[in-house]
This record gives sequence, C-alpha cells and structure tokens, in this order.
Amino acid sequence: MTLGVAPRARIRRDTWTQRAHLPWALEVAAGLGRGAATVDEAVARAELEARLGGLRDALQGSPYYLRTLREAGLHPGDLQRLEDLRHFPALDRATLARHWEDVPTLPTASDECVVVKSSGTTGDPVNVLRDRRDCLLMWAVLRFFTERTGTVPPPRPRVVLLDALPGGLEYSVRLPLFHDGALHRVSVLRDDAVARLQRVRAAVVFSDPEGLRWLLAHPEVPAPRLVLTSAQHLPRALRDAWVHGRGVQVLNYYASTETGPLAWECLEDAGQGRFHVLTPDVWLEPDGDEVVVTRLRPSVLPLLRYRPGDTGTVQRDACACGFHGWTLTGFSGRGACAFHTPAGRAVDAWSLAWVFKHHPLRAFRLTQVDLERFTLELAGAPPEVVGPLCERLGAALRNLGWPSPRVEAREAELPPSAKPLPFHSRLPPPG
Amino acid sequence: MAVSIAKLREQLAASPIVSPYPHDLAVAIVCDTFRMASQKPPSQSEWAKLEQRVKNPLFREQVGMLAHVLVSSELRKKSVLYLTADRTPLARLQQFFEEVQPLTAEMVRSNAFRQEEFLRKWVAALGADIEGETAQESKSRLNALDYRQAVADLRKVEEARKQEAERRLKMLQEAQQKEAEARGWRE
Repeated sequence: MTLGVAPRARIRRDTWTQRAHLPWALEVAAGLGRGAATVDEAVARAELEARLGGLRDALQGSPYYLRTLREAGLHPGDLQRLEDLRHFPALDRATLARHWEDVPTLPTASDECVVVKSSGTTGDPVNVLRDRRDCLLMWAVLRFFTERTGTVPPPRPRVVLLDALPGGLEYSVRLPLFHDGALHRVSVLRDDAVARLQRVRAAVVFSDPEGLRWLLAHPEVPAPRLVLTSAQHLPRALRDAWVHGRGVQVLNYYASTETGPLAWECLEDAGQGRFHVLTPDVWLEPDGDEVVVTRLRPSVLPLLRYRPGDTGTVQRDACACGFHGWTLTGFSGRGACAFHTPAGRAVDAWSLAWVFKHHPLRAFRLTQVDLERFTLELAGAPPEVVGPLCERLGAALRNLGWPSPRVEAREAELPPSAKPLPFHSRLPPPG
Repeated sequence: MAVSIAKLREQLAASPIVSPYPHDLAVAIVCDTFRMASQKPPSQSEWAKLEQRVKNPLFREQVGMLAHVLVSSELRKKSVLYLTADRTPLARLQQFFEEVQPLTAEMVRSNAFRQEEFLRKWVAALGADIEGETAQESKSRLNALDYRQAVADLRKVEEARKQEAERRLKMLQEAQQKEAEARGWRE
C-alpha cells in the first residue's frame, strides 16, 4: 500500500485559539435553530434581509464585485431586499476559479486565512480563501445538527473523520469548539484503523458512503451517537442499515468547499431527498431549477448568487419533521458512479475526485473499461501533468483494492455541462 | 394623483424601446409635455446652453430616454399635473440632468435599479408624491439608489483598499527583508 499518495497536510495545532470563537459558534447554532423554527415567512425573510447590510459592506471590499457591479451599472446599495438579488449577476464556479484572488475582501487578520482547494470535480479545482471562522464553521453547524437530531454528546466528545480516500492522511487535534472534545482523522486504509477506533470511541463520525460501509462491517467498533455524511448520493440501504439496523441517526448534508454547509436532508424516512436550507446563514434562491447561493454569514469571501453547478428547486414549506423554512428538492449534484474491483467490491468513484484537485486540469473523465483498465480523458492538460497524475491515480486505485490497475491517458474534447460527470463505468451492472 | 413607480415600470416593460429617439424628436416630446401644462418650454438656444452647462457626454441619450419614459407610460400625464408655475421648466430640467449624470440609456433600459432611479429623479424634479410612500421614505429610497453618489463612494472605498493592500505588502516586504538580514548573522 502506498500511503504517500496524499500531499502533506498542514494541521493547525493551536486549537486553544478556538475558544475565543465559542460565543460566535453558539450564536451560529442558535441562529440556525431559530431559522428552522420560524413559522412566519415574513419574519424569516426579515431576519435574512437584516443580514444584507453585512453583505453590502463585503461587496464594497471585493475588487471583483466592485468591477462587475460597476460594469453592470449596479452598486451594493441596490441590494436592499431578497427580491433585488435576481437583478444581480451570478457567479459561476469557473469564474470564481479564474478570479479567486479578486473576489475576497481584505481580511482583517491575513495570517488567520488559508487557501483551500475545492474537490476538483470539474477538473478545474477552485482555490477558496477561508478566514478562521470559515474554517471553524462546521463545528458550529455540528452543534446545530446534534441539537436537531437530539444527540447528546458525552463529556469531551471525540469526533472522527473516517477517511476512506486513498491518501491515508491521519491526525488528531483538540476541538474546544465542540464541547471541549477532540478530532481524530482515521484512515480505513491503515492496518490499525479498528484498534484506533476502539480506543477513540467516537461520539460523532463524519464519513463518505465508502467509510460508512466499512464501519458497518466492523461491529467491534463502538457505534457512534451520530453519523454525518455529505455524500450527495447516500444509498437508501446504507442509511437504513445505520438508522434501523444500528439505531444511529444519519445526517446527510449538502455542502461545498466554496460555500460551506448549505442544507441537510430531512431525517424522516418519508423526507428523503428533501434538503432543508441552513437559513439564515445562506439563502438559496427559490423557484428556479438551479441552486443559486448567496452567503449571508460574514466571510472574507463574499458569495453573491453563486452557482455551484447543482440543480434543484427551493420552496418554502413546513415539513413533517417540524422544520419551517426553505427546502431544496429534486436535487441532483454529482452523478453517482461505482467502480468495481477485481474482487467484486463496488467503490464510489467519487472517492478518487480528491486525486485530481492537485493537478491543473480543465476537464477530465475517468472511465473503467474493464476490471483493471481505466481510460483517463483529459482536455487541455499540460503534458508535464499527465505522467504524475497517472502515477498518483494508479497508487490511489491500488489503495482502494485494485492489485495492478492500468490507467491510459489521452487528450479528448469533453462536452461542457452544468455539472460534469467525470466518472463513468463501462462494466455491465453487477447481477 | 400620486405617481406609482411600480405601474410606470410595468408600462415601460410592456413597451420596450426599439431604437434610440433622434435628439430633435426627444426634445420636442419633452417640450410638448411642458406645453401640455401650459408652460413655455426652453427655447432651442436654452437647450444648447443646458447641454453646455451639464457637460455630460450622456446628455443626448438621457434626453432620449426621458422622452421614451414620458410617451411609453402614464408619466407624461402625471407630469402635466405636477408642472406648477413655481419653477421654470429649465430649472427642473437642469436639476434632473445633473442628478442623472452617470446614467446611460442602456442602464435605464435594462437595469431595474437605474430605471427606478431615473424615474424617481424625474418625479423629484417635478416635486410629485410617490404612491404608497411618505416623503421621507421616497427620499431614503432615492438616496439608496443614487448611482452618482455610489460611484463616488465606491471610488473612495477602492482607493482606501488599494492603499491598505499596498501598506500590508510593504510591511510584508520589510519583514522579509529584516528576516533575510538577520539570517546572515544566525548562520
């Protein structure tokens, strides 16, 4: 096994500095709680519109938005109501990728900011500038999710990021923002993964479907109290196996690197496919057939009408689960694709997406043509990138269970689409 | 009697401008509006002086758009009701064209906010009321929409941002320089 596939990660160790942000995290969680319980639409809209002032200020500090708005004869002051948003230009992923340095405002504390890459699902990863609170947001949202699911974390809860990706990255840090807990990233590829999980006794586990399947297959690992996943295609059987088989709540949320968490899938069995929007932190424009996000939470990266490339329709409703607010339905993000190992195991092809973000590519498509053979089609890739990419991809496939994968790269014209489908299998469906 | 901005915008959306009005025709439409209110419109030489005074390359296209919004909506009829003798037509026109100074015809045609601003500024030059709003609300809305002020403010903000970015870059370079100099002693 080649566990050096992952590039070195820089892990922030000064976790005690999180404490200063605890009041903010509590307020975020409380705000989301209020947002999900506000029955009166006018009151909910007023709460959202009260946040437009902060967005207007942020737009004034963004060279990209100043230029774009001026070109369109607009100015931030025009944005007074949610209805006004439709008159503003949208920002798509490719444009953000091109202008990533110009979209952010000047951070108040530059040394607290980091640049992260989005998952590279377009073959053209986006650099995303994040401030400290952007980096910490998920822990504030986790507080809301635990409240929503009725999960009571034990004292000093351990949170595990269960990693089924082929990189094998692991680390442990303290997590003061989540009830003075700790965070462990555990790779299922390591030989001691089970022993480590038995020691850690995680209260909360984040993973993708691959990791959740692995964990189900290891009942000797103590069950967590809550499982979270941001898989856009969470198989129903897998969810049921956790919820009804193991008695553990599964919270499937919709997030992107650029925007942070946006919505969560209804917890009711009958509510599958209905994603409740995390207002008032974000606003997803209703009544269209494409996801258009305006981030209302302050950030170094103002996002006005951002189009992540996903489709779905947002409408206000009162859900049987007790949620009041805006719900995304008909959501189709990434196209699901499973590759099959020679041993017959199905692997979520998206677990390889991570490999691509480390290479400058315009577009790609990886196709499984037979059990050990893959075709990698690349559009406009610099020649010096192709060799290292194939090498890294081969190592990742070996880690995932292919003993001797062959990756054949070739230049190709790939048709543009709203959301690319970069993984494809030509194997006949099993059974 | 008050002017409904929403209604005007609906009417304008129903009669989009196909091609720009010739300047003479646009001037004639504006002049006729004053005549309909029994007021003597500015003479040809006064129009020429007005153009010189506002010193705006967009002046002629703005006159064209004023003519368009007057004939394509009920604004002309409403304007006649408010054109009282307490101000001269020239004074009203001068106020209006100074206030709409940066608005292009394209903005007024296709940009919801700039169209509203254009209409409201004409209504303000008339001294008319806006339906469903107090005078203070109308004033606040006009201030929020004021593109001329916004452009000036944004220029200041941009300049301040550039200066701050340069200051930080200088600080960073100085810190790197100091570090490089200190390294020689440590090694």
